[in-house]
Formats: sequence, structure tokens, C-alpha cells
Amino acid sequence: MKRGRHRADWVALVVVAAALGLVPLAVGDSAYFMRIATLMLIYMAYAVAFNVIFGHTRQLFLCLGALAGASGYVSVVLTVKFGLTAWLSMPLGIACAALLGGVFSYVSVRRGLGVIFVGIVTLVFSMIFHNLVLGMRGLTNGETGIETKGAGPGILASSPASYYVVLAVLVLALLVYHLLLRSRAGKAFQAIADDELAAELAGIDVTFYKVLAATAGSALLGVVGTIYAYYSGFISPTVYSLVSVDIAVLVTLLLGGMGSLLGPVLGGVVFTVLDEIVRPLGRLNVMVYGVLMILLVVTFRHGLVAMLRKLLGVRIP
Amino acid sequence: MIAILVDGIVQGLQLSLMAVGITLIFGLGGVLNLAHGQIAVVGGIAAALFIGEGLNPWAACALGVLTAGVVGLIVDRTLLIPAYRSTGEERLLLGLLITLGLSFVVNGYLDFKYPDVALTLSLPTPSFSVGGVVIRTASAAAALVAIVAFALLFAFLKGTLLGKVIRSIIQNEVGAGLCGINSGKIRTLIVVLSAMMAGLGAIAQGLFSSVGTEMGNELTSFALIVAVVGGVRSINGTLVAGVLLGIVNAFASYHVGAYLTLLILLATAAFTILLRPHGLFAHRT
Repeated sequence: MKRGRHRADWVALVVVAAALGLVPLAVGDSAYFMRIATLMLIYMAYAVAFNVIFGHTRQLFLCLGALAGASGYVSVVLTVKFGLTAWLSMPLGIACAALLGGVFSYVSVRRGLGVIFVGIVTLVFSMIFHNLVLGMRGLTNGETGIETKGAGPGILASSPASYYVVLAVLVLALLVYHLLLRSRAGKAFQAIADDELAAELAGIDVTFYKVLAATAGSALLGVVGTIYAYYSGFISPTVYSLVSVDIAVLVTLLLGGMGSLLGPVLGGVVFTVLDEIVRPLGRLNVMVYGVLMILLVVTFRHGLVAMLRKLLGVRIP
Repeated sequence: MIAILVDGIVQGLQLSLMAVGITLIFGLGGVLNLAHGQIAVVGGIAAALFIGEGLNPWAACALGVLTAGVVGLIVDRTLLIPAYRSTGEERLLLGLLITLGLSFVVNGYLDFKYPDVALTLSLPTPSFSVGGVVIRTASAAAALVAIVAFALLFAFLKGTLLGKVIRSIIQNEVGAGLCGINSGKIRTLIVVLSAMMAGLGAIAQGLFSSVGTEMGNELTSFALIVAVVGGVRSINGTLVAGVLLGIVNAFASYHVGAYLTLLILLATAAFTILLRPHGLFAHRT
């Protein structure tokens, strides 16, 4: 039984990697579709991070964009304004995001904050981050944003190569996720998600595992945030705003299914398709996100993975 | 100096007017309404549209407030039902996510439909002076609106049986239920009341600057900060916190600029949650 489940996970990982790896062969010559495909991977990776943080340990981080942005901005500012090489500034940015996430988590666990207060604190952090970026014009150029073309690793600027880099990050993230859940931590996460107090009483170090989840997730957010910064050739506060990251990721994860390996991937595909459908609506697409979010929260809380499991009767990791 | 203080108090009162709705809905319904500012903006924009139709400004404002109330009623009777059905942490989470979604719906719709509509109310006399201090009529009117609204709210909560019932639910929902109180109906009443106060807040805002479709997020965040600092279950606390933060806001804007001020306010909110999660003035409701 146990072996079977793990085999299903591995098969799923290989299938995902292969299927996504073939995408450039189908649309490789269209820059437009390649960009959409790459963005899809980026959002999937964000969703994997959020899945660890929220899906497994119930820490409602409403600062995904801010964490990714903190990492992106630290790296870009160090590279563009201070001439540090991107190879050095990227890890610094990522460490920054991981540290912030870990600290939030540690403080909120220590203070015994409920899910809603974690949400408020992180939401407030999001706002602080945005105001800082807008306010420190000398470093960040405020609203105008910073051009990152040519500043980052060359591999992120060329078309199919950047796609494969992001894919590698995503697959690695999924792999780590799988290994993490297989280990002691996986059991601890499950216990915490079910009942935190009971988990604590059963001898699980709740603080440690929550901080672990938050730090790992935030580090992944940081990785994706910096990669995005150099991939897109330009960053501005809008790129990392609540609407463009947090809401999109929340919808992605809710669509796909929380707490599952394939949830972020399936959700990412569906969300990208939906996003393309509503793009012509222009300003209305924010509204569509909102409607989608409400509908998902109310009626479709378990996501596609759970639905497929039920419909097909197949074990889907 | 005094002018800044007065300005701060007025702003603070108006902030409390918005924030008290968040406090009430959270205390009574267990839902943190992240679409509160958006509901206020709906009220403001509705008033602006009614004025555009050639209606008397007074009537238009009243209709605006009423519109906000109706939005509150609809939200409570439809969107929030799934949240009310669940309990504990689940309800908090559902409520938070639903209202967050709602805030995007309202933002998106208003931005799309009425991008150029904004509510600006101008009064016949721009300012008058009391004991050498020049006071803008708009500020005085806004303060008056807020004070009257609060006086009525307190009279209602402390003086009537229904008010007592409401306070009892805030203190202990299960206990209130055991005494035969139907908390669902009262919750609806409170949501509508809060939405109307938010609409009133938006109209007060329209008196001394303007209310546009893009202001929803800003109003929500300010109201949230005030509600958090005051303690999300304490009505008195919210009023005090609003006035306090209003004064801080006014002085800080004057001395260090709007940008740092916002950071100070946000940091205050963050630290309040971390140091005193129940708010600075949590001991009384």
C-alpha cells in the first residue's frame, strides 16, 4: 500500500516533467506562447510554496508577492545599483525571503496567533513592503520599476532555456515536496493540519515544523521571485502585488486542490487557460478573479485533484 | 498646531466610523470583512451617481448610505451564509477569503463601469473660525456626522434591549443562543448597520476630499489598522484607536510626510497584533 502510493508519486512527477518538458516543442517558435507557458510554471511553483505553507500547516500567508518581491528586489538592487554579480545577489535575496517567512512563522506560533491574525500581520507586511518599494525611489525607482535586461544570468534571457530553468526549479520543488511529505515532517504536517493542540500533546514540535514549512515555502517563493525578476527583464511593484501574485496563487491552489502533489500543477494549467480567456475583458479580469475565488472557496474547496480522484477512482498524488 | 490636532481628530473620527463596522461584524459574525472599504466606496459612488442624476445632495447622500446598507444585506444573506454555517477557525477563514474575493469583485466592477465617477461634496462656506482657529466647514461637518453616528450607536448599544442582546452575542455567542437569542437575524442587522456606517464614512470623506473607485483598498486597510489597534472585538477601543491614529496620522504627515506616516501606521498595527493581539484597549466591549 505504502509502496504503491510512493510509486504513484514518482510516476506523477515523471509524467509532469515530461509533459511540461514537451511544451516548447509544440509552441517553441511563438514568443507569446512561450511567455505564457513560462509564467504558468512560475505560478505553479508559487503555488507549491503556498501549498506547503498554507495547505499543510495552515499558516495563511497573505504576503506571497511581498516575499517573492523582497527576494527579487534585494537581488536586482544589489546587482543593478551596486554592481554585485547576480550569482551572489540571488542567494542573498532568497535568504532574505526565507528569513522573513521563518520569522513571521516563528513569531506567530510563539504568540499563538490564530489563522486570521497571521493573515492580518502578513497582509500588513505586504502593504509595508509595497510602500517601502514605492518610497525608496533612490534604490527601486518607485513605480517606474527597474530594468533587469542583461543584469542576470544569460540563461534566463534566452527563450527555451529560461523555460527549462523554471521547469527544473518546479520539478525540484515538487521532488523536495514529495520527499518532505514522506519523511517525519509529512506526518507532523498532517497532524498539525488536523489538530494543532493534539499534535503538540502527542509530542510533535509544532513550532519547529511550522517554521520549517514557512521557511522552506518562503525560500521557494524567493527563488521563483528572483528568477522571475531576471526572466521578465523588468520589475515593478505591480509585478509582486497582492492581486498579481497572492490572489492568482490562491485561486490556482484552490482550483487544483490543497495538500496534494499535483494540485498546484493542475491548478496552474487551468488557471492559465482561464486567464487567457478573460484577458480580453481588460479591467474586468480582477472581478473575474474575485468571483472565481468566492466560487472556489464556497463550492469547490477540495479542488480538481479530489474531484478527479472521486470521478476516476484512481489514486492521484 | 491646534489646526493639525483638529484635523487629526476629524480624520480619526472618520476612520473609526469605517473601522467600527469591521469590529462589529467580527465581534458578532466572526467574519473579518476585508471588503468593508469597498462597500463604503459603493455608497460613495452611488451618492455621486445620484447627484449626477440631478438629485438633491442630501437625498443623494441618504440614498448612497442606503445603497451601502443594501449591499451589506445582500452580502450577508448570500455570500456569507457558507461562512456562518461553519464554526471556529473554519468560519474565520471562509469569511476572510470570501470577503477578500468580494473586494476584488467590487474593485474590478467599479473600475470597469465607473472609472471617472468620484464623489466630491462642496459646502457653501469653506471655513469659519472659532477663537482664532480657522476650521474648515467640511471638517466640522464630517466630525459632526461621525459624532452623531457614534452617539446614536452607543445609545443603541447601551440603552436598548436589542443593544444589550448584541453586546451579549459579542461576549458569548453560545451563551446568548442558550438564552433564546436568534443570532442570525441580529447578525444581519449588524452587517447592514455596519455597511451603512461605512457608507456614511465614505460620504464624510467626500466632504473634505473625494471618493473615487480606486479608494476601496485604502479605506479597507485604514479601517483594518484601526480595528486591529483598537482590538477587533472592542467598540470603545476602536473609537479611541481611530482618534489616536488620526492624530498620529495628521502630525506625522505634517512632519515626516505621507509615505513614512503610512509605514508608521502599518507598523503600529503589526506590533499591536504581535504584542497585544486583543488590541490596546481590549478589556472593555
